[in-house]
Amino acid sequence: MMEEAASQLERDHVHNVYDKIAPYFNDSRYKAWPKVRQFLLDLPPGSIVADIGCGNGKYLHINKEVFKLGCDVCRPLVDFAWSQGHEVQMCDGLCLPYRDGCFDAVLSIAVIHHFSTKERRIRAIKEMARTLRVGGRIMIYVWAMEQKRRKFEKQDIFVPWNPNPHLASSFNREDAKPRRRVTAQSVSEVIDNTENHRKVRSTSSVADEEDMTQMVPQQGTQRLWFFSRSLDSVFDFGSLAISWPSSRDLRQLSSATGESEGNKANQRVRGRGLIKQVSSFFSPPSVIGSEEDVFDSDVDLQKGQNDSGGPSNPTNNKGKENQGVSVSLVQECGSLALPDLISLQQEHLKQSEDQSPREPIGTEQQEGRQSPEGSEEQMEASCLRYYHVFREGELAELIEHHVEELHVIHSYFDHANWCVVAEKVRVWKI
Amino acid sequence: MKLLTHNMLTSHVKGVTKGYPLLIKATEVKVNEVEFNPKFVCRMIPKLEWSTLVQAADQLGHREELPGELVPDYEKNEDFLKKVHRVLLEVEVIEGCLQCPESGREFPISKGIPNMLLNEDEA
Repeated sequence: MMEEAASQLERDHVHNVYDKIAPYFNDSRYKAWPKVRQFLLDLPPGSIVADIGCGNGKYLHINKEVFKLGCDVCRPLVDFAWSQGHEVQMCDGLCLPYRDGCFDAVLSIAVIHHFSTKERRIRAIKEMARTLRVGGRIMIYVWAMEQKRRKFEKQDIFVPWNPNPHLASSFNREDAKPRRRVTAQSVSEVIDNTENHRKVRSTSSVADEEDMTQMVPQQGTQRLWFFSRSLDSVFDFGSLAISWPSSRDLRQLSSATGESEGNKANQRVRGRGLIKQVSSFFSPPSVIGSEEDVFDSDVDLQKGQNDSGGPSNPTNNKGKENQGVSVSLVQECGSLALPDLISLQQEHLKQSEDQSPREPIGTEQQEGRQSPEGSEEQMEASCLRYYHVFREGELAELIEHHVEELHVIHSYFDHANWCVVAEKVRVWKI
Repeated sequence: MKLLTHNMLTSHVKGVTKGYPLLIKATEVKVNEVEFNPKFVCRMIPKLEWSTLVQAADQLGHREELPGELVPDYEKNEDFLKKVHRVLLEVEVIEGCLQCPESGREFPISKGIPNMLLNEDEA
């Protein structure tokens, strides 16, 4: 059951988004991360390497002495990689079409943070480990919760994508550490210019624009992250009904925060508490760290945040702005597989004193569907990418506790990422 | 799809235990020229399932005297290495499909890219 919700979420907020934004990734300014490049260059000649989640194939040209192949779920990206002369396939990270132990090395760069549950992330790592030969090595990069100067407030987030092309030029990428599929570019586009964003959009979701304006008055460089609960915490016990629970059902949901799995004691009726808690997830925009990390940093941004919502405490839940955020977020995520967002939003609206001028979520946002003629408005509304950002040590722990066939060799922070290099070991079972 | 890639690919349909090797049904095959690197080929050979390579080359009609079993001392046999190089890296399937030997499920290859994505019920 949770599987369906998880895979639906990934379809809507990973796969469909990348399908739409693929054309924007093929920018010569995106280079390989140096440590990843070095990992590849250090491989003995004649090695076979797989880049799982290769995107547009950015790493596939490095080191002519080794045989590289790549795979991804995103057809447009894979097509591009092919056009560059690389061997690529379409496949799913949870079910790799390669025989056991056939690779000398595997790359997983900025991929597994798109899996929406811990279990799926573990499965993805195990699948890659399966295809590694004993003694072979895997390098995994995932986005870090802890950025250079800030931290994400929560670990499960939606990152908006702004396809507006003319914003790209305003973005200075001199020092940027680009990531393969992400859009350091997209982030700056959303943020660098919320004003442009406003002007350019003649969008159906007028409400969104107003929210943005309210929350981000003159600040060109604020970041907007939409937070959500981890699917792991919503579906704590695997026994909850999945599709769009009514608010009554939601009251019965565990209101446990974070990742307390299997804690039945938490299943109390606490409707109001739950709503308040989830509302706090829809915090006013958090200012995030440096672009060099993942997102641009600017000390001035701190001021910006203060301007836009009072105290810098991001979980301050007062005022129209927050309400605005939650409403616009939910409107955007209309057909998400995160039921608490939908029904709770309705609750929230009912409870709030201020009558929101905008319509309740009756209006269907065609989230994640194929946009007709790829119009910009449609793209904007449906291009929220899901990420589970990792805490320090989380990735290494995941491997140490759940993937016995891998032994962690290095564990480090590389700009905006937590990174692990692990070796496949033979596991003896008696 | 090159035959070196094919050598690694397997069917992963749920319940299938003998999904390797995949049968190749090609409707369009190309042969490109790829720079010959004998050392590279040498190092690849031990990593291959040799019989799969031969079978695949056969299915494409490109076997061309490739021996059914590895010749001893192949490292020094440039002639042999050249044949392997050709079959591994120069022959490419552009259109066609890969068939699971156990379930019969066909995975399409289009524009040189095999689509190994499974449907919900097969995963």
